[in-house]
Amino acid sequence: MTEPAERGIFGKDLLDRCISCGFCLPACPTYELTGDEASSPRGRITLMRALETGRLDEDDPTLAEESSFCLGCRSCETVCPAGVEYGTLLEQWRDHQWRGRRRPWIARLLMAVVSRTWLLRLQGLVRRHARTRKREDGPALMLGCVERGLYPRVSRAARALRPELTAPAAQGCCGALHAHNGDSAKGAELARELGERLPGRIVTTAGGCAAHLSTHLGRDRVKEVGEYLAEAGHRALGEVRAGDRRARVALQDSCHLRNGMGVTRQPRDLIRAVADYVELPGAGDCCGAAGTYAMLRPKDSRAVLDPKLDAIEQSGVDYVVAVNPGCLRQLQQGLRARRSTVRALHLVELLREAQNARE
Amino acid sequence: MTLPKQDTDALAAIVGAEHVRVEPGELAPYARDATPLFHAEPDAVVFPATTGEVAEVLKLATERGIPVTPRGAGTNLCAATVAERGGIVLVLTRLNRILEISREELLARVEPGVTTARLADAAGAEGLLYAPDPGSRTASTVGGNVATCAGGLRGLKYGVTRNYVLGLTAVLPTGEVVRTGGRLWKDVAGYDLTRLLTGSEGTLAVITEVTVALLPTPAGSGTGVAYFGSLADACRAVTAVISAGLVPATLEFLDQKCVAAVEEFAALGLRTDAGALLLFGDDGTDDVVAGNLARMAEVCTSAGALEVTLAEDVARSEALLAARRCSLPALSRLNSLTILEDATVPRPKLAEMVDRIDAIAARHELMIATFGHAGDGNLHPTCVLDPDDAGAVDRAHKAFAEIFAAAVELGGTITGEHGVGAAKLPYLADRIGPEQVALLRRIKSAFDPAHILNPGKLGS
Ligand SMILES: Cc1cc2nc3c(=O)[nH]c(=O)nc-3n(C[C@H](O)[C@H](O)[C@H](O)COP(=O)(O)OP(=O)(O)OC[C@H]3O[C@@H](n4cnc5c(N)ncnc54)[C@H](O)[C@@H]3O)c2cc1C
Ligand code: SF4
Ligand code: SF4
Repeated sequence: MTEPAERGIFGKDLLDRCISCGFCLPACPTYELTGDEASSPRGRITLMRALETGRLDEDDPTLAEESSFCLGCRSCETVCPAGVEYGTLLEQWRDHQWRGRRRPWIARLLMAVVSRTWLLRLQGLVRRHARTRKREDGPALMLGCVERGLYPRVSRAARALRPELTAPAAQGCCGALHAHNGDSAKGAELARELGERLPGRIVTTAGGCAAHLSTHLGRDRVKEVGEYLAEAGHRALGEVRAGDRRARVALQDSCHLRNGMGVTRQPRDLIRAVADYVELPGAGDCCGAAGTYAMLRPKDSRAVLDPKLDAIEQSGVDYVVAVNPGCLRQLQQGLRARRSTVRALHLVELLREAQNARE
Repeated sequence: MTLPKQDTDALAAIVGAEHVRVEPGELAPYARDATPLFHAEPDAVVFPATTGEVAEVLKLATERGIPVTPRGAGTNLCAATVAERGGIVLVLTRLNRILEISREELLARVEPGVTTARLADAAGAEGLLYAPDPGSRTASTVGGNVATCAGGLRGLKYGVTRNYVLGLTAVLPTGEVVRTGGRLWKDVAGYDLTRLLTGSEGTLAVITEVTVALLPTPAGSGTGVAYFGSLADACRAVTAVISAGLVPATLEFLDQKCVAAVEEFAALGLRTDAGALLLFGDDGTDDVVAGNLARMAEVCTSAGALEVTLAEDVARSEALLAARRCSLPALSRLNSLTILEDATVPRPKLAEMVDRIDAIAARHELMIATFGHAGDGNLHPTCVLDPDDAGAVDRAHKAFAEIFAAAVELGGTITGEHGVGAAKLPYLADRIGPEQVALLRRIKSAFDPAHILNPGKLGS
């Protein structure tokens, strides 16, 4: 018998939605690794129920382990015919589970850094990402916090492709990091603040930020860059070549973009326009980067990544394209460790290369 | 009851300490399966990796009197994997190798933890078809399918899992390993234990290897949809199709509520205003398929279909079948407690049965949606209700008792494919009579003298 919700940790109807049919099991990368119900979406929802009703103790080690083992990739959500909002449940779970000192220290540190706008700006000065004066018109390019530091090229490429994008330096962080690491209140607050700083349309080059922002600012205010380029009608570009032939290019979907926002077609179409597109088996499966996951659980992250790298190497592509800085970093590190000849690029970097080829 | 430390130590010595779980959080996810309203926590969850390990675990359990509940993916809908008496839940997902696929012999040999879809895909890659096609195929395991004798969407033309099991390796609760059947299409040496174990719901032995028959993949396939004013009209069309001498591979029906729910998830552009939908499909060479689909469309039209359309390509066919497979979870969008049942009647009685279900639902003021494998006479009346409404839950139980009685009265049965488990055990004697129940118990004792294997289910 379903038990009365007692603790109010989860939205009541959210937990009830799951009927334990098990349709989501094969979609879950952590269940694929372990074959253990506890690390499946259905099993985690059962654990959440046990937490909610007090059947399990707050400090239960399995609750702690499973809330952190979950990648948050939300591929369980897209296959669930009952419409269970797993992503929301996970945020609520981590809000409760990772309060205060129970949150991993790396996550705490990162969250502290990115919620300080001045630190982000400083980082931007050093790293030379795209920067324009604040303008009222034109969509704003969001400068992701990770990307600002690691991949300033990405925002520059986006601006080169689409000069109408403004990139004001004073914009802060979208709060996705907080929402995924057990502080959804702060995550929502940061998203709203960013929305105020960048009125009008916001274009992001990070799938994770796009999904988080669109839940708080509304789907129509937020565009992921591939989506934006496809919609705005990209200008004629040249082609990306590898030696004396057209380059062969694969895509790695960003989980939140695919599972949270349903964007899958546009990046593929854009690649097709400038190169030979190759669909990887499992392109939609998580790469294991999963926001801070690769830092928090490096071993599990690599276990999820490995079969993907095998598939990339077997496919004979020249480039693999990511649409999120975390995934890009994950793929680059993985490929480098294997001394692979395949290069990982952000979608806009690939398109920028095609643009250069034409100019 | 918790297991004494010496027992858990002994289990750890067999399968390795990390494959024995006893902590509350580790046990909680194994307290239920896909069946609503049943819940019982085991004392340990054990993950063996080989036949030998399974044998040692079972031997230990028999010696110490510990109940053991085998489990595949836990997608069954009759509480068959709920550990009613506690003890061990024995999870078989680590036995997940495809051992062999033989084109010459048209068979596959797999471990029980392989999912149905993985087996089907691996066979497909060799140009072969694994015919059984339960709606849960992407998640459910071959072991679970054999243990429940799963049916599915190709039942009419191809039959159910039983028709494809050639041989089994099974471990008896006493630890003895038996190999029943084998690789042969013809073999009558001894009692047919392969058939006995198929559908035995984890109460007689634990299956650790399965040999199944495969077929050459048909050259083509196609699907069509016919809309009717009511489910009873659709049922009459089913009888008409069969009477016309057609044996389609797939003949599935959904009532209006199911179509609406499925449409909300899958957005296929199905008509949600009609009373019922009949999904029909066939396979074979392209011209045979085209001919059969055309004839089925004709029969449906003369049986009063409001509209008939044929899927334009394979992708559309697959989408329609996938949508049909998710009817149950999609229905739960209407309310959060969905109790699905599984009754079968002779096909000519289908229309009468759905009328009776409607009347029973109305009398108990319940919302019952119905879908199922129409071609097999197999219906899944599904009650959708609010879990907090204790009165409604109570009425649902009464309504289902009446539905089972109606099915038996019309010459049908209380379960066509999902099995008896703990959920249907109270109704079993009504269907098979006390003599057979007693015989089942004697058979159970022969296999499982200590009565440790899945107690509270068949044979108890
Ligand atoms: C959405 C949905 C659709 C479904 N559609 C269909 C359908 O079309 N047709 C159909 O027939 N069923 C259907 N089912 C029911 C269910 O999927 C099947 O009964 C399936 O065969 C169960 O497989 P499993 O691996 O999940 O087994 P489990 O649920 O884990 O176990 C089922 C039974 O088998 C026993 N068992 C499992 N593995 C072994 C083993 N290796 N040795 C001995 N005993 C074992 C268990 O003890 C239990 O009694 C559906 C279920 C859902 C949720
Ligand atoms: S598919 Fe949805 S309803 Fe089914 S078990 Fe998974 S989360 Fe629950
Ligand atoms: S979010 Fe990803 S890892 Fe977590 S339960 Fe869902 S599918 Fe599994």
